[in-house]
Amino acid sequence: MMHELSICQALLIRVAEIAAVNGAAAVERVTIEIGALAGVDPALLTAAFAVMRAGSCAATAALRIESTGVRIECLACGTESPPKRLICTQCGGYRTRVVAGEDLRLRDVELRLAGLPELAQLPPVPEPSGLLRRRARASGPGATA
Amino acid sequence: MCNTCGCAMKPADTVTIDVLQGLLAANDRAAAHNREHFDRHRVLVVNLMSSPGAGKTALLEATIVALRERYRIAVIEGDLETDNDAARIRAHGVPALQITTGSACHLDAQLVHAALHELPLAGLDLLFIENVGNLVCPAGFDLGQHRNVTLLSVTEGDDKPAKYPVIFRASDLVVLSKTDLLDVLDDFDPARAATALRALGGGVPMIHTAARRAPALGEWLHWLECELRARRAAPLRAPRVDAMMEA
Repeated sequence: MMHELSICQALLIRVAEIAAVNGAAAVERVTIEIGALAGVDPALLTAAFAVMRAGSCAATAALRIESTGVRIECLACGTESPPKRLICTQCGGYRTRVVAGEDLRLRDVELRLAGLPELAQLPPVPEPSGLLRRRARASGPGATA
Repeated sequence: MCNTCGCAMKPADTVTIDVLQGLLAANDRAAAHNREHFDRHRVLVVNLMSSPGAGKTALLEATIVALRERYRIAVIEGDLETDNDAARIRAHGVPALQITTGSACHLDAQLVHAALHELPLAGLDLLFIENVGNLVCPAGFDLGQHRNVTLLSVTEGDDKPAKYPVIFRASDLVVLSKTDLLDVLDDFDPARAATALRALGGGVPMIHTAARRAPALGEWLHWLECELRARRAAPLRAPRVDAMMEA
């Protein structure tokens, strides 16, 4: 399983929570931002979304992906280098900080409402104890042999 | 889009909700929760990543032999199937818990959280999490570790940092492993590997190790002991989860 599937699963769970708390009839569109350094392939994520959305409230939803480019700032001279560079173009310094390009964000969700629109709500991110999945198969004794 | 004429106006019954949250917010929250557990027990947690066969388990075995008299160590092993690696660790008298992911190519914070329910942290100094062998997927998932270490074995190419930038950039330390084989290899240049790593920016340090025939672990053990000392000196009161998620 590529990690785009895990990310798509997390996305659909979050979208379903947002749809439920707002009483939506369906999800029309989901917009996400993926940085060039996020290690996520937009095409793979799009393919995963097309399969995994089936049967969910987002079954007919469109996925819009906004790709963000890489920008870095040199820790030595403070120069911001042009896109696609990871070391400073000004002084050649390799100690740099990524200003943009590592994002992996859900930007917004467009919902079709069942009733009258009320104030939009965001559900809280669930507690870890509620996230324990059945696939978490930890095996073997924790004791020494 | 309006269904009548195609203009940009939205139909009245749709609403756009701004979210602006990380796609892995649930994983990050579970990771912060794990980190609180680790900090409460003052245990240093190191996430080991590499391609399959780079020598993660061999490095852990040699590390355990070198440090087990002075530190209490435990290991969480991640693999798709088998508990072979956990059995190798347990043979050295150290607790080891195997997570079998089935088909998942990486560990995530919830899998580690589940494993922690079966692995007592009390009294531990050092917990290694050996991630699934894979240079792509493990990089994206915070487990709650304090340090990420990525192994690059000299039987791989010295351009690996250039080919897999995300995981090497996410590392706090890169360990060049199996360096005892450099004499018999003519296609791996440690200087080229260091240059490729440096070209990624960030200044991640690289050290050399050999874990099997003629163990050379000096730099690695020194790094670990510095990290252990720093962890012990850290304030006992763990930061709040919300503050850590914003950091």
